[in-house]
Amino acid sequence: FDKAQTVDPEVRAHVYSLVTALGGTEADEAGSYVLGDDALACLRDLKRWLKLYDEKNNRLDVARCLAEANLVNGDLLPILAAWTEDSNNNRAKARLALACLELLVPLTWPLEHAGGMTVNHHRHTPYIQQAHVRYKAGTLCYGRASILRTIVRIGLPSIATSKDDRTSRDEGIIKLMLYFFRNISIITPLPNLPSQGLDDEISRSATIEAFRQQDVFALLLTMCSNMGEDFNLQDVIVLEIIFNLIKGVNVEKLFMNEEQRKIQKTTELKDVLGKERAMHRDYAKIAPTRHGRFGTMIWVKREDEKVSAISGQDNLKDGRNSLLKMDKSKKWSKPQQRRKDLDHSIYDFDHSVPLTADASELLRNFVEEFLDSGFNPLFTHLRKAIEREADRLLDINYRQFFYTVSWFLQAEKCRRARQEKDRKNQKVQTDFEAESYGLVAAVLNQETFITLNRYMQTSFDNKEWQDLNASMRCFTQILLTVQEMAQSSLEEDQEIADNIQNRIFYEETTHDRIVNILKGYKDQGFGYLDACTELSHVFLRMLERYSKENADLQIRSRRRARRKKKEQQTTQNGENEEADDDDDDVRSENEDIAEAAQVSRERKFDFTRFAAKFTSQSSVNTLVAFTAFYRDLSIDQLKRAHRFFYRVAFKQELAVLLFRVDIIALFYQLIKGPEGLDRSNAMYKEWDELVRQVLKKMFKKLEQRPELIVEMLFSKIRATLYYLEYGHERQTVSST
Amino acid sequence: DNKENTDLLGLDEEVKIVKKRKPVAKLDEARLLSQPGIPKLRALARSGSIASKLRLKGKGHEYSDAAKLLGYYQLWLDNLYPKAKFADGLQLVEKVGHGKMMQAMRKEWIDEGKPGHGTG
Repeated sequence: FDKAQTVDPEVRAHVYSLVTALGGTEADEAGSYVLGDDALACLRDLKRWLKLYDEKNNRLDVARCLAEANLVNGDLLPILAAWTEDSNNNRAKARLALACLELLVPLTWPLEHAGGMTVNHHRHTPYIQQAHVRYKAGTLCYGRASILRTIVRIGLPSIATSKDDRTSRDEGIIKLMLYFFRNISIITPLPNLPSQGLDDEISRSATIEAFRQQDVFALLLTMCSNMGEDFNLQDVIVLEIIFNLIKGVNVEKLFMNEEQRKIQKTTELKDVLGKERAMHRDYAKIAPTRHGRFGTMIWVKREDEKVSAISGQDNLKDGRNSLLKMDKSKKWSKPQQRRKDLDHSIYDFDHSVPLTADASELLRNFVEEFLDSGFNPLFTHLRKAIEREADRLLDINYRQFFYTVSWFLQAEKCRRARQEKDRKNQKVQTDFEAESYGLVAAVLNQETFITLNRYMQTSFDNKEWQDLNASMRCFTQILLTVQEMAQSSLEEDQEIADNIQNRIFYEETTHDRIVNILKGYKDQGFGYLDACTELSHVFLRMLERYSKENADLQIRSRRRARRKKKEQQTTQNGENEEADDDDDDVRSENEDIAEAAQVSRERKFDFTRFAAKFTSQSSVNTLVAFTAFYRDLSIDQLKRAHRFFYRVAFKQELAVLLFRVDIIALFYQLIKGPEGLDRSNAMYKEWDELVRQVLKKMFKKLEQRPELIVEMLFSKIRATLYYLEYGHERQTVSST
Repeated sequence: DNKENTDLLGLDEEVKIVKKRKPVAKLDEARLLSQPGIPKLRALARSGSIASKLRLKGKGHEYSDAAKLLGYYQLWLDNLYPKAKFADGLQLVEKVGHGKMMQAMRKEWIDEGKPGHGTG
């Protein structure tokens, strides 16, 4: 490996000479940074190099050289630190600071090349990503001076001028400043690169603390609450910053107070220890009681005078165990499709991020202030931009928008719950004014629903699963918020909630979409699985309740118009106009229109019919895939799966769908192990009862219809499903 | 002349020996429908009481009975296709069941169990 060969030596020489000419630490002046004579020109030259060499030729050579020369931590940050607040009016220094920022932004820009990576990119990307980590660590913990605040100061004059007076240069400066914060918020240590020992310095907690202490939060709040008035085009970058700060943060934990968090932590620790103990206990049951070379061997007798041999004393007492051991000793396993490694993308939001207690406190304050002032203006503005399909929006921003909305809706819910609790604890105010949901009204209007629905449908059609994941979460949170609104003590809120529910449940296309999403799960990952099962659970339950309360619920259903009718019409038309020569064109056009047209009409909503759609073999498969994670599921998630299977087996009377060997094996393992559900788990009892009932039903069915023993191997087909369940054919009303 | 003769006989030509790979055993329709496959299960179904054959204990012993049933399936699958683990084998079998012919046969098997089948 030769360092000189990674980059063209001449380029390296040019860049290095510029970095050297920029300045350096002076031994005479106690090691402080002294600028070179032509520092500003050097900075501008470096910028030109980045632009005209790297960007133009689509290489990363200059960025690599600058990383090796330690430009950011060695020069740019000291220069910025030297621009102290009392030299605010020093124009030369201000210009220098701006020039530094102009370099910092491209140097910290996230590297995401979807396609079209050249050899160069492959060579430099890991090195530069490591350099990013050092840049971020340097920026957040730069000893004496606060770099972030300095950068806010660069932007302040431009922000202070009113929107109409801003020049394009002002707009550019604001943009640069925001992009820098965005870049800083994105940088994380990469899971597949060696750690540099800076993980704590650049963690999410450290970022949040620095953002708070150095007034970036204040800036963000100001911009959000004035979005649409003083600020216009910056909404997307602000969204990105906020998205990167909150993604993966557990909302419920964030809104716990100190005491609860302590309790939570101890219970978590207790849970984990309990789990470990249970694991040991499970193992102790089958662990050998004698040394490893004791050499027991047993025969398992099978039919037709066949035997299989297994070794190990643990097999002596337990027949089931020996069967499992036989299975385990097989070497071949079915080749599995690997998912693409999406999880390391910077737009991923399914990975939970832990926060320190201090950082949670700070972030919570920010979130509460944001909800109070910035939520409505920012999201209204963004939603309008999305409707217009504004140029500044990238595809990824839509996903960020929906995820952020869902996160903040959940935050608002948690905050309310917390306030309620505090109020109850204090018992001071008995008659308080219930707060209205006006704070989050911006996302509870018809326009948002239309946007959301359209986005869900397109991402489902285009198989953009992460996008769909974000919009499902958003829809779930909207449903939950509306549900809470309906229980509010304010009459106005109840009325609004009723209206919203009416609108949500009015369109049959929404119902069908949710059913289809649940059915369509294949291998989109656990986050997606969690989101789609949660959505269908919440949707189904709310719809059930709503249709009970409003017995005369009408829905608009769209059906393909009957073809026959159209054909008749067109032939009639054709007979009338047969004389015309151009007629053919007209007719085919008519036909096209007729085919494309869909009849929409209203009909009474029938919940049982809808629920029947939900309980199909493919949705059972989805829930089975979900339940297979039972060891890691929370109480709520286990409950969700439990309710679904309960509905299938006992409400819809389709337990036949569950009579499949793999499902029965999963259920059995869940209760009886090995590696079953922990007995102290709150859901253990309910699951135990459910599985027992399902098994009972199954043996009864096997007795009645022995054919089932074959059919248990397969997913059931529609033709035989009804017979298997009821023992007779479905009575169909013949229409004569 | 000599040359032609040898050519005709093909004595000078080198004989290439291509080693053929052993065909990989597959769990396909044919295997599933062979004697140790579904017919064996059907024989069990027709034999009257599954419960007595598998020595199931009935009411109150759901879990131990389920373990026996699962064990039966496991040994059945191991006999049919020894290569695959239980869970993998079940997936393979399930997939074979999606074929058009299999679906028709499955329907027929069930129809045979219906009351009045064969008489009307």
